[in-house]
Amino acid sequence: MLDNFNRLVLANLHTLGAGLSVTAYVCFFSFLLAVVLGAIACLVRLYVPFIRIVAIGYIEFCRATPIFVQLLWVNYVWPEVFGFPKSVLGAGIIALALQSSGYLAETFRSGIEGLPKGQREAALAVGIPQFQIMRRIVMPQVLLVMAPSLVNQMTVVIKSSTLVSVIAIPDLMYEALKIVNAWFEPIEILTSTALIYVVAIFLISMLAKRVSDRFRNKYGLAAQA
Amino acid sequence: MWDSLRQSLDLTLFWEYRTILLRGLLQNIYIFFGGALLATALAFAIGAARLSKRGTVRIFSTGYAELFRNTPEYVFLIWVYYVLPIIFSRLLATKINFSPYAAAVLALGVSYSGFLSETVRAGILAVPRTHIEAAMALGMSRWMIMRRIIAPQAIRRMLPEALNQYVSLFKATSLVSLIAVEDLMYQVSMITVHEMRPLPLYTGAALLYCGIIIAAAQCIQHLSDRWRQRGWA
Amino acid sequence: MTTPEAIIRVINLRKSFGPLEVLCGITFDVREGSVFTIIGASGSGKSTLLRCLNYLEQPTSGEIYLDGKPIGFRIEADGRRVPNTAANIRRMRAELGMVFQQFNLWPHLTALENIIEAPLRVKRLARKEALDIGRHFLGKVNLFDKANEYPARLSGGQQQRVAIARAMAMQPKVMLFDEATSALDPELTGEVLEVMRALAKEGTTMLVVTHEMGFAREVSDRVIFLHNGQIEEDGSPGSVFSAPRSERCRQFLSKVLH
Repeated sequence: MLDNFNRLVLANLHTLGAGLSVTAYVCFFSFLLAVVLGAIACLVRLYVPFIRIVAIGYIEFCRATPIFVQLLWVNYVWPEVFGFPKSVLGAGIIALALQSSGYLAETFRSGIEGLPKGQREAALAVGIPQFQIMRRIVMPQVLLVMAPSLVNQMTVVIKSSTLVSVIAIPDLMYEALKIVNAWFEPIEILTSTALIYVVAIFLISMLAKRVSDRFRNKYGLAAQA
Repeated sequence: MWDSLRQSLDLTLFWEYRTILLRGLLQNIYIFFGGALLATALAFAIGAARLSKRGTVRIFSTGYAELFRNTPEYVFLIWVYYVLPIIFSRLLATKINFSPYAAAVLALGVSYSGFLSETVRAGILAVPRTHIEAAMALGMSRWMIMRRIIAPQAIRRMLPEALNQYVSLFKATSLVSLIAVEDLMYQVSMITVHEMRPLPLYTGAALLYCGIIIAAAQCIQHLSDRWRQRGWA
Repeated sequence: MTTPEAIIRVINLRKSFGPLEVLCGITFDVREGSVFTIIGASGSGKSTLLRCLNYLEQPTSGEIYLDGKPIGFRIEADGRRVPNTAANIRRMRAELGMVFQQFNLWPHLTALENIIEAPLRVKRLARKEALDIGRHFLGKVNLFDKANEYPARLSGGQQQRVAIARAMAMQPKVMLFDEATSALDPELTGEVLEVMRALAKEGTTMLVVTHEMGFAREVSDRVIFLHNGQIEEDGSPGSVFSAPRSERCRQFLSKVLH
C-alpha cells in the first residue's frame, strides 16, 4: 500500500495542490460574499420595515435548502433566468455564498440583539453619535461574541466546497476523483484527500479559537468552551 | 428573463412526474431515518464516553467527535462507498460490497454522530451540579442518579439542538444521489436528461426541500417554545 | 417655584408605557450646585424620571429645561414647538452625565479608554488632551493605577467609580445617578458613596435616585418622595426624613430605616 501511496498520491502532489488552491479560492470568495449578503439581509431584516419580509424569505430559503440542491439550481437555472453566472466557478461561489449567508444573517442578528441595552445607553448618555456607537462600541463586542459561529460557518463552507466538484470545478475533490477514476485505486487517494480536509479545517478552527481566546484573555473574559 | 422565470416557476412538469419524484423523496426519508437512528445511538455512546472518568476513553471519544465534525460529509460518503468495502474485503479476505443505501446510512449516521455527540455531552453537562450533589447527599447510587436525575433533564435540554441536527441530516441526504441512490435529486437529473427542461425541475426540487425543512423547523420552533414555557429546556 | 439659578426645570412631566402611566405630572426645579435626591419604592417611577431627563425615555408630555433650554423640542422663530433633532438631543445629553445601576462600562476598552471615548468622539478633542482629562478624573475617583485595566478585572465598586469618571470627563452641567450603588455588594458601596460625597462637596449639581437613606439624609439639599408616579413629599432632608407629611412616605421610611 505504501508504494501505491507513492505512485498515486505523491506523484500527483502538484495536481492535488492545484486542486487545493482552487478549493481555497472558492472558499475564500464564497465566505466573503456570504458575509456581505448575510450582513445586508440582517440589516434589512432589523432596520428596514417594508422589505423586511423579503429579507426573512431570503434567509429562510438559504437555510432550508440543501447546499447540493442550491448548487445545481444556481448552476443550471440561473444562467437561463438571470443571465449569470457565466461560469461554473461563479455558480459554485454564488451557491456556497447563498447557503452561508442565511446562517450568517441569523448569527449577526443574534449578535446584535444579544448586546446588553446598557452598552448602547451608556454611549447615548454621553452623546456619542450613532455611527460611532456602531463602530466603537457595538461592532467590537458583537464580533467577539459571534466569533465561534463565524468560524463554524467557515468550516461549513470548506466542507460544502467539496460538492463543487460535481459541477466540474477543478477543486481538490475533483482532482482526487479524477485520479481515482484513472487508476481505479481509491484507498490511498481518498483517504489522503479526506485527511487533508480534516487537517485543514481543524487547523483553521484551532487558529481562530486561539485568536479569539487571546482577545478574550486580554479583556479579562473567560475563554469560551 | 421573465420568460425564463415563468418557465422555472411553472411546476406542471414537476407535478407530472410527481410519483417518480415522490418515490425518490421516499428514499431520502428512509435513509434519513436510518442515518438518524445510527447517529443517535452512536452519539449517546460517544457523548457519555467523553465524560468518562478514564482518560483514554475520553481521548478516543473526543478524537472521534472532532474527526467527524471536521470531515466533509461528501468526502466521507464517497470514502465509505468506495474505500471501506475494499478495506473490509482485505481484512476479511472475502469480497464485500456495500449497497449504496447501506453506505449512505452508514456514512451519514457516523458523520452526524460527531455533531450529535457534542449535543449529548452539552445536554448532560447542562444539568446543574447542585442537583447531582443533592441526589448524592441523599445516598442515591451513580446509576440511579444517571437514570432519574441526569437523563430526564439532559434529554430535555438537548432536544431542540438535536432536532436541528436532524434537520441538517435530512438536508445531507440530498447527497446520496452522488453514489447512485435513486433519491429525489437522482430522479430530477434523470428526468432532466429525458425532458431537457432543467428550469422547473431544479427549482421545484429546491422549493420542495425548502418547504419540507421550513415546515419541520417551524414545528421544532413551536415545540421548543412550548417546552421552554413548561420549564423543560 | 422658579428661581433664577434653576439649572433644571421639569414641568408636568408625564410618561406612559402603553396603558401604564408611570409618571403622572411631575414638576420641580433643581438649583445649580445642589444635590437633589429622589426616593421611593420600586416601581414608583424614579428611574424613569431620570431617564426622561436625558431622553433615554421619551416623555409622553410635559417640559424639561436644562439651563433654560428645552430638551426634546425646540421653539421655532414663530413660537411653534417642534420636536428636537437627534443631533440637538445628543448635544443636550453631553451636558448631562449619567451613572447607571449596571455600570455599563464597555468591556473591550480599558478603564482609561472608557473615560476618553466620549471626549474623543463627541468633543473631538485631541488624543493627548483627552488623555490628560481622563487621567485627571480617574485620579479623582482614586483609580489612577487601574488606567490600563479592562473592566472585567475590576471589582464592582471600581467599575462604578470608573463609570462616574467617564461621566465626569465630559464635564457636564448636571450629574444623574440612577441607583448607582444598588448593584453593588454592601462593602463596595462605601467607596462609591465617598466619591459622590466628594462631588457634592465640590458643588456639582447632582440628581440622585437612591436607596441609601443615610447618604440621602447627609448629602442632599432637597429630597422628593415619589409614589406611583407622583411627588408625595418634597422638602429639605431634615423635614422629609424626620417629619414627613405624607402617610405613605412615613410608611416607606419606617420600612427602609431601622
